[in-house]
Amino acid sequence: MTRTRAQLVWLLIAIVGFLTLCPVLMLLAGSFSQGLTAFGAFTAHKYVAAYTDPALAGVIVNTLVFVLGASLFSTVLAIFLSYLNTRTNIPWKGAFTLLSIVPMMIPHLLFAISWALLLNPSNGLMNLVLRGAFGLEQSPINIYSIGGMIFVEGLLNLPIAYLVIAPAMGAFDVSLEESSRVSGAGTLTTLRRITLPILRPAILAAFTLCVVRALASYAVPRALGTPGRVDVLATYLYEMISTGFAPDYGQAAALGMSVLSASILLIVLYRALTAEGGKFVTISSRGFKPAIIDLKGARLPLFVVVALLCLLMIVIPVGALFYTSLLPYSMVPGARALALMSWQNWIEMVHDDITMRALQNSLILAIVGASLGVLLSLFAAYVTVKLRTKAAGLLEMLTFLSFSFPGIVIGIGFMWFFVQTPLYATLTAMMLAYIAAYLPYGVRPLTSAFVQVHAHLEESSQVCGAPPLTTMRRIVAPLVLPGIVSAWILMATMFIRELSVSVVLSRPGSEVLAVRILNFADDGLWGKLSALGIVMILLSTGMVLAATYAGRKFKRH
Amino acid sequence: MDIRIEGLCKYFTSDGKTVAALDHVDLSIPANTFFTLLGPSGCGKTTLLRCIVGLETPDEGEISIGGEVVWSSRKGIFVPPEKRGLGMVFQTYAIWPHMSVFDNIAYPLQVRKMDAALIREKVAKALRFVQLEGVERRSATKLSGGQQQRVALARALVAEPRVILFDEPLSNLDAKLREETRRELRRFLDELDITAIYVTHDRVEALALSDTIAVMRAGRIVEMGTPQDIYFNARHRYVADFIGRANQIEATVLRHEDGITLAETGMGTIACQRRELPAGSRATLCIRPEFIHITSRAAAPEGKTALEGRIEALEFVGEVYEAEIAVAGERLLARIDPDVAVRQGDTVRMAIDPAHCLLLSA
Repeated sequence: MTRTRAQLVWLLIAIVGFLTLCPVLMLLAGSFSQGLTAFGAFTAHKYVAAYTDPALAGVIVNTLVFVLGASLFSTVLAIFLSYLNTRTNIPWKGAFTLLSIVPMMIPHLLFAISWALLLNPSNGLMNLVLRGAFGLEQSPINIYSIGGMIFVEGLLNLPIAYLVIAPAMGAFDVSLEESSRVSGAGTLTTLRRITLPILRPAILAAFTLCVVRALASYAVPRALGTPGRVDVLATYLYEMISTGFAPDYGQAAALGMSVLSASILLIVLYRALTAEGGKFVTISSRGFKPAIIDLKGARLPLFVVVALLCLLMIVIPVGALFYTSLLPYSMVPGARALALMSWQNWIEMVHDDITMRALQNSLILAIVGASLGVLLSLFAAYVTVKLRTKAAGLLEMLTFLSFSFPGIVIGIGFMWFFVQTPLYATLTAMMLAYIAAYLPYGVRPLTSAFVQVHAHLEESSQVCGAPPLTTMRRIVAPLVLPGIVSAWILMATMFIRELSVSVVLSRPGSEVLAVRILNFADDGLWGKLSALGIVMILLSTGMVLAATYAGRKFKRH
Repeated sequence: MDIRIEGLCKYFTSDGKTVAALDHVDLSIPANTFFTLLGPSGCGKTTLLRCIVGLETPDEGEISIGGEVVWSSRKGIFVPPEKRGLGMVFQTYAIWPHMSVFDNIAYPLQVRKMDAALIREKVAKALRFVQLEGVERRSATKLSGGQQQRVALARALVAEPRVILFDEPLSNLDAKLREETRRELRRFLDELDITAIYVTHDRVEALALSDTIAVMRAGRIVEMGTPQDIYFNARHRYVADFIGRANQIEATVLRHEDGITLAETGMGTIACQRRELPAGSRATLCIRPEFIHITSRAAAPEGKTALEGRIEALEFVGEVYEAEIAVAGERLLARIDPDVAVRQGDTVRMAIDPAHCLLLSA
């Protein structure tokens, strides 16, 4: 019994190890070789070329400003919202949950493009309205700028920061604050001197996670930075492998190594921070509800801020896309726009073969890929939770590390691998890369599902006389099923919208939805783009709703 | 059914060091007794229980239940837990959250592929037995702690096992409920022909419930006997200390007389329960506080030892006064009836029965 178990663990380590380490090692090998198809002799030439490029300094400065700015924006906003939700009597608290799942429903690329539709300098809807209203010559706001990128990326990463900070704030032992109040400190002094310092590990962890995500982000820099000629590392890397007649994968690999190292370093830092977080935040077991702070006169204005945020994050982007999808070209809402509205873009989209093939490919990747990914995650999670061996720890580390990998770098790494195999330019290749890049999304919900199944629950079934398979079927499987469902939906949602890996690996014949959206954007076909975008949002939203429903249904017992 | 354990060993490795969780345990538990394994956490009692039920595999030795060998290192026998036909109540109750009360209790019968009508009948009987009628359709995790405990008991009993095992089943209940449940548990089990093995670190539970107690330390059984035996006639300092409060005084064995052993202490010569210790050897004299009686008579009653001391501290704790009495160079803790009028600083006379003075080596 123990023998087959050990074999299973090593088989899993081999599969997961291949998926996570293959792109990394290929990237490393590629960065020291001469060309994509033939590795040739060892050379450091690509490093010299990549790191002496005069344009690089500017790109790095842009990247730093973009990543740190966006992360700071998300974290500060998340602290503000967490405090309002967990500690004050702000009305309509359901809005906070809604805000935290929005990026699950609206893919990042579409969110960024919708802001481009609203605030681009030449014909952004909001800019047109503002120009008309104030009689301005020029557009007042240019989203194609580093500021615009920070704003949009910050909004997108807000839920990640919120999901780290809010539970910590909710679990806070209130007596720590109460003793500060008794000592004579007011609400604000207590917040500054007691609450925030104690929550520092959680806040730093949230910030680090945002940095990792912003560094890996390709959608926002591509949709907003590229048109404004603001390059960050992600877009700079992509340009190396796409522009001109001789895409240079070697140079991209050389530069990608730095991005990858930075990401791994950051995720290790994040882990250290969250491990320490447990020491700081004390959860009161006495079952006391945190004292709710009465906002008094500030209640309504603060609520308006939250409502405005909901508007910025949900209504305006989706509204802009839908509006655009009904018009032949960009124009201010009004009588003329109303007269020109039609389903033309939608009809053309349905008759466009490439778009339909992209839709089909994305659905196949989502359904088959998520199923295989969940199967792998299921075994990996079981091993990491139930077997506390060294090998199981190694497996856990592997699945965790890949959480930090920027999609575009993983894509480049896999490119070096697939080009040597018959899998090149196939859906299978993309599926493998997807599973590798998004494995933690499957492993994490399943790990927590297994953690909840106390060993006694299995053991008591055994003592009751049930053979192992019966225990698996009647006790373990039903208890883990909600985790399986949510892991599957999470992975499928990620795959439906996947951009940064696909943009590297996708070839004619293996188009996917997000890449098709980029094609439309490059060709300026905003109407068709918006129609397809709404389809993507509907698909994602449908899946998120299904996940919520499934979660509720199973939670009832 | 009786249970026989021979030379059972179980080793764990932690930080590169091998620790014996069970160190050559020999044990024989007669059928239809309530047997308790008592000891502090980490003494190996739960490991022993899990070896008996089959959830843990020992490294050496043999276990047989009702004459059938279920585990033997020598003969290479391992009967898996599901084939041992036992009942068990877990510390966490291990109530399956996705099943109703009925399904939880019916489970052992369902996996035995019993007829549905018979299952309904037996589950109803089990629920009646633990006084939980009318909650069959409820979700089991919605019940209170005490009710969940009864569900766990009903599930362990429903297949009518001949042996039932308990792993600290009362430790998750609050103090008042724990006492009630303890009494009920004993009443339930008295009605059945069943061998019960009970693991606990709570001495009161062990004393109140058991026919036999085995006190464990570091993977070994130190002492075994009836609750009275263990409490009144402990043979080891460790056991005397673990099972209740005791004054411990350094002593030297003087000589043996008719039914008693005399020992020299800082308080003078004390007559003790006879123990075969060599004269001149060092020992610990152990006296429980409730056996130090305050008396007004000048001379001690026939056969008892008289002592005189000064009350240094007096504490009222409800049913008794707890007094710290200085006798020569020693200090004795005594429990005094509240109707005996004493005050701090008083000089009092005491009488002690030699039967309650235990001389313990080491």
